[in-house]
Amino acid sequence: MSARVSTSVAVLVGALAALALLTLTYGQIALPLAETIGALTGGQSTDLARQIVLDIRLPRVAAAVVAGAALGMAGVLMQTLFRNPVADAWSLGLLAGGQFGVALTVTAAAFAGPAAVSFLTVFEGPSITLAAAAGVAIAAFAMLALGRRVGAITLLVIGLMLGFTSQGLTSVLLHFAARAGGRIYGGWTDASFAGVAPGALPWLSLPILIGTCVAVATAKPLSSLLLGETYARSLGVKVTTLRYAVLAATVLLVAPVVAFCGPVSFVGLIAPHFARALAGTARILPLLPLAALGGALLALAGDAIIHAPWEQHFLHLNAILAIVGAPVVILILIFSPAVRQWR
Amino acid sequence: MLKLRSLAVGYRNARGVVLSDIDLSAAPGDFICILGRNGAGKSTLMRTIAGLQASLGGGASLDGDDVASMRPAARARRIAVVLTEQQFNPGLRVDDVIALARQPFTGWQGRLADIDRAAIADAVGITGIEPFLRRFFSDLSDGERQRVMIARSLAQTPHLMVLDEMTAFLDLPSRVEIMALLRSQAREKGRIVLLSSHDLDLSLQLSDSVWLLDGEGGFSVDTPDALSRSGAIGRAFDTDAIRFSPADGRFKIGTSGPA
Repeated sequence: MSARVSTSVAVLVGALAALALLTLTYGQIALPLAETIGALTGGQSTDLARQIVLDIRLPRVAAAVVAGAALGMAGVLMQTLFRNPVADAWSLGLLAGGQFGVALTVTAAAFAGPAAVSFLTVFEGPSITLAAAAGVAIAAFAMLALGRRVGAITLLVIGLMLGFTSQGLTSVLLHFAARAGGRIYGGWTDASFAGVAPGALPWLSLPILIGTCVAVATAKPLSSLLLGETYARSLGVKVTTLRYAVLAATVLLVAPVVAFCGPVSFVGLIAPHFARALAGTARILPLLPLAALGGALLALAGDAIIHAPWEQHFLHLNAILAIVGAPVVILILIFSPAVRQWR
Repeated sequence: MLKLRSLAVGYRNARGVVLSDIDLSAAPGDFICILGRNGAGKSTLMRTIAGLQASLGGGASLDGDDVASMRPAARARRIAVVLTEQQFNPGLRVDDVIALARQPFTGWQGRLADIDRAAIADAVGITGIEPFLRRFFSDLSDGERQRVMIARSLAQTPHLMVLDEMTAFLDLPSRVEIMALLRSQAREKGRIVLLSSHDLDLSLQLSDSVWLLDGEGGFSVDTPDALSRSGAIGRAFDTDAIRFSPADGRFKIGTSGPA
């Protein structure tokens, strides 16, 4: 790792820790910083502080960090695989696909009867993660097939439209599911890290951990794909195998996020650009930790803003992310040479 | 030593066999130009030799090993290619592009060892691209980019270099310079350089040997001089509007018979 990358990683880790501590301390109820630290370390603090910090805020902060990191890394993988600087799990409709998969499963269970619903409730973690993974994988395959036919911008528009379609279908499905008695899933059309129960954290983190390992293992061959498919093959890369491995990593990273946090927009799209600017390279391996940290920071910052003690609740996470993210996308569309090449 | 044994190249679709029964060999140090009109099969032949496309029969071997059945990583340590295909990616810098040439030689992280750095420094020095090392690949001109891709192929320290239309984006002085550079690389490092070009003049002047594709599946191999004199060049390229003059060694415009 170059000095530039390690310095950036150190600074980002520091910033993330500071922001996490801030988010754990402030909110509707502001705690003294010492009590937060006490609650975290098992030191001096009140029962109330412990409850607020450990039971309410910590799972949310952990979910934001893990999900943001996963989306950031998935963004690096997807932008390289799709040769598309505006690709990410949200913009190409993978999150929507995952959402639709969960909705379909919940609806099917609702119509199958109370036994199916209670099964789904008991095994909520694994079952909705699997349902989301199926949806994400199908969407990813479809977009990859399309991506070989159409340009970067067309693919972006199709991805967003796919998102709208799936969100429409999801809401219709859940309407009927709710009437049939399926109440499992609160109908997240907005993203949130607050709904992740402490018990769900392992189900969120484990697939992401495996996905991270796969991403790291594919980083070297994926770097050579930056030169194009033929050059990658001339460098000894088995391109078809690589594609499947990268898709598998993407599904593992993204499915748990959509299952537990909903369609978190823009994080995965911006984090890779942030990482490239910091790293001064487009090689994948140094980008992964930087994009993970950048994604985690962005997600946590968005979460901190919506959970600040506003007079009137609720601010939506995706509203905050859009205010930051959409202008960045516009700049990329105008200035990126990779986009210009497709015109 | 590159050997082609009754090689047939082409596609398993409507285009079918493009060239067949090719028996040829090239020795280390050879600088060979493949000439032929568009669609004559230059790229197909070169891609097959480089192991990027399956042959339809026969085979190509490099130093006794069949190219098609070599493991991809082993092949990448011996064969480098330069294509016209260029891809832009955000954040991709010239030094990234050149460092990628060493991937077949590095571990899973792609960390460069001293020998890799030396190969890169050598390639950068030869091609004179130090000034753009930290620039974005997408910000270079077409000619600069092609120069970078040639440096990348040299940094791969190949036994065989396959360069398809690589001078297309370069101006005349750069073309002469690059072709002379490749020729001296062949001579000094004992590399086999296989190059296709539309630049007949230069190819005929600089190459040791020419593989001439006549566009109808025919194939002649000889020194540039012999091919010019025998009229084979003329048969492959002449149209009503332009004719090759064996006496002058170049093309002349006109519709009236051979000059």
